[in-house]
Amino acid sequence: MGTVRLEGVEKSYGDTQIVEHLDLDFPDGTFTVLVGPSGCGKSTTLRMIAGLEPVSAGTVRINDVDVTWKEPKDRNIAMVFQNYALYPHLTVLENIAFPLRATKTSRDDARKRAQEIAESLGLGHLTKRKPKELSGGQQQRVAIGRAIIREPSVFLFDEPLSNLDAKLRVETRSELLTIQKRLGITSIYVTHDQEEAMTLSDRMVVMKDGKVAQLGTPAEVYSHPNSVFVATFVGSPKMTMLKGNLKGNTFIHESGTSWPIDHGPDGGILVGLRPEDIKLTPEPQGSGTIAQIELLGPRAVVTVDLSGTTLVSVVEAAQLSDLQPDGRVAVSFSPERAHLFDPTTEMRV
Amino acid sequence: MTSRPAGVVRGIFLATALVIVLFPLVWVTLASFKTPQQLNDPSLLFFLPSLDNWRFILDGGILEAAGRSAFVAGVTVGVSAIAGSAAAYVISAYKAGGTLTRFGILAAQVLPPAVLVFPFLTIAYMTRTNDSLIPLIFAHLSFVLPVVTWFLIGFFDSVPRSLEEQARVDGFSRFKAFLLVVLPQVYPGLGAAIIFGFTLSWNDMFYGLILTPTKSAILPVAIAGFNTFRGVELGSMSAAILVAVIPVVIASFFIQKRLVQGISGGAVKY
Amino acid sequence: MRRSPAATSASLSWFQLRMLAPLIAVASVAVGLPLVYAFYLSLTDFSLTQRGAAELVGFANYGASLTNEDLWGAIGTTFTYVIIAITLETILGLLIALSLQKQEWARDLTRAMLLAPMFITPIAVGLTFRFLLNDQLGAIPFLLDSVGLNYDFLGSGKALLTLAIIDVWQWTPFMVLLLLAGLESIPKQPLEAARVDGASAFYIFRRITFPLLIPVLSVAVLLRSLDALKVFEYVYATTRGGPGTETETIQYFTYQTGIQFFRLGEASSMAFILLLIVLPIIVFLFRRLDQRASK
Repeated sequence: MGTVRLEGVEKSYGDTQIVEHLDLDFPDGTFTVLVGPSGCGKSTTLRMIAGLEPVSAGTVRINDVDVTWKEPKDRNIAMVFQNYALYPHLTVLENIAFPLRATKTSRDDARKRAQEIAESLGLGHLTKRKPKELSGGQQQRVAIGRAIIREPSVFLFDEPLSNLDAKLRVETRSELLTIQKRLGITSIYVTHDQEEAMTLSDRMVVMKDGKVAQLGTPAEVYSHPNSVFVATFVGSPKMTMLKGNLKGNTFIHESGTSWPIDHGPDGGILVGLRPEDIKLTPEPQGSGTIAQIELLGPRAVVTVDLSGTTLVSVVEAAQLSDLQPDGRVAVSFSPERAHLFDPTTEMRV
Repeated sequence: MTSRPAGVVRGIFLATALVIVLFPLVWVTLASFKTPQQLNDPSLLFFLPSLDNWRFILDGGILEAAGRSAFVAGVTVGVSAIAGSAAAYVISAYKAGGTLTRFGILAAQVLPPAVLVFPFLTIAYMTRTNDSLIPLIFAHLSFVLPVVTWFLIGFFDSVPRSLEEQARVDGFSRFKAFLLVVLPQVYPGLGAAIIFGFTLSWNDMFYGLILTPTKSAILPVAIAGFNTFRGVELGSMSAAILVAVIPVVIASFFIQKRLVQGISGGAVKY
Repeated sequence: MRRSPAATSASLSWFQLRMLAPLIAVASVAVGLPLVYAFYLSLTDFSLTQRGAAELVGFANYGASLTNEDLWGAIGTTFTYVIIAITLETILGLLIALSLQKQEWARDLTRAMLLAPMFITPIAVGLTFRFLLNDQLGAIPFLLDSVGLNYDFLGSGKALLTLAIIDVWQWTPFMVLLLLAGLESIPKQPLEAARVDGASAFYIFRRITFPLLIPVLSVAVLLRSLDALKVFEYVYATTRGGPGTETETIQYFTYQTGIQFFRLGEASSMAFILLLIVLPIIVFLFRRLDQRASK
């Protein structure tokens, strides 16, 4: 069992408020990702859950017990740091077994258990090595082994994959997920990489400036972003934002081009379009000019210039034969795929 | 500058420096094996060595003096290592004690002994411990403890904080995390600090001369006792000098790599 | 950034206190107490030969010391000594460090041997040189004599210089140690870029190497100066302050006043005057070290 609850948690250093009034619930067994740009307070929040950072206000509960002022060692949590923090002076086996030294477990039992875990992680043949003799991916797994040996209530991850190269990151990512699903331990994972957040999480908490910008499943956050910030932060390539006016059933872009949109209030508006929702048709009189085509294998990212505004679209490779750089295209989209935001508040309408 | 002539000049320069460094040491070594008559001839390089001087100083209690030096140095360094590592850790990780503490540690290291020696002497008389090793140990602590602490701060600075945090999350108290995880990372620096501190205590003569001049004389004071000018004393003095010099010079070979990081308190990393 | 935020939780402050406690305890007894007592002594007319209790005489000792010509002579002598010794050590140390840096042959052994002198107890160094420089028994006058030269090392006008040379022999290795580390921590790229651009070795040294070396150099000079100011053993081993008072350094003079003349109160006041002279140097050194450490 491992539930975590943050009630009105805040953190400030002197006059600067890093985290503002957080109320968050982490149900048992879920994999929640805290994601946001650097400085948004996600790591600080994680560290407050861990007990490494004292809260300035609010309560932290783990399994309904108030642990706000408890030392990390009394919270029954496990944490994996960005640089894995493996103990350089201990072997792989000793590293994994180390947390059991704080309990009453005998030396032999601890070693046996550590051996089992090492083997389950594919490290069985490396147990006598020291951390500096291991590759990045192997070190990662040692850190995970050390985290699971105590069977904690909660796993905390602080950007554990940032030190790995792209390919390794993707592989390790799915390994992590498999382990978490198998063990069913509640996990809270911090990253600045929205792609990581999308693929790993059951629920995403998008943070900005110490506040929760949006909370939901990846699908929800992707398809219904509630603010310009979330809309442009999640999803790659980024959502295109078009500034203009709604009048009746028409959206008139500041460049003059107009499209039909049958919902939304009259007046100034920001229209957000995902790349996959922007359709490009070659048209000699089209309002858009292709600026760049980047082939990504099965797909291509096409950048279009619409009288000064840049739109980014994604097309299937098959359709590329009709499109050339500097070619003229007509830009279109289905009205119901448009995300509408108030230009002043930048919130969804 | 890897041209041949430059290399030759460099080689000659360093060779000269080596000769200048080694010459007095070789001289003393030779002198320790010379009889009074042989000593009268400074050009005598090849001679039948005599062990008279060595026997003389051994009978005269040089080993006891060395033993006392070792005892004082050992106790001083032991206390300094324990108090110093705990303090250096929190000073490094948390800036504990603030600037004042760090300044105090630096100042205590470079404080002229003349300032503290008279109180030590007076207190020794008052507690009737004069000419014993106890006031000397405290006097040595006054500069060895700050040196060792300062030394270690530099090494603790190189240990990543995440190690300690990991240990705390893994179930250990702050102190246990320090003891089991952080301290092991500075063992090499600690070793160097201990050897360096031992050398400083072993080499002191000023406090030794004033606080334990006769009965419990430590080694450098015993050597100073040979400071007369008759031939027989010079040979024995040379032997005594070697007794003092050889252990620390050998020990110094092991710590040179770490010395710089320690001496500068972490400001210069080797 | 390795700094921790201001210690906000009580458990952290408590932990820091517990860890500092042994140091504070020992330092109070070994440094704090004597320091305070020394100040007290300096305000009394305490003398070891005196029968009765010491009386507070306020700042009379300080007055006497500050007007004591011999004390100022000692201060002047010591500063002359320090300036000569440190200058020579810096120049020699730099040359040796530069040479060692480029050396490929038996590096570690050469370095180990060259650094040996700084680990020898200073009294031994002093006595060795006294022996070495002795007219009848020493090797150096013998060698000089064989080329027809005669030099009275410990005679009037020359003794202080000789002592400074002894200091140079023993402590140049210290300079070498720090300067070598400084040289080896200079990033290689700027130097290589300059060589590719065709700069001469001397130009590279003057414009790139030396400026980057100044922080380490200043720390080394300050540390060594503070140490050299305390010179005692060489004087004790060779000249005992003579000829006349030519080699009477501060620490030796204080020692004489306190131990040979037993005037502890007066000696303590001299020691404190020395401390006041030295304090600004310590502060300066501290600022330099703190600057580097926080980078």
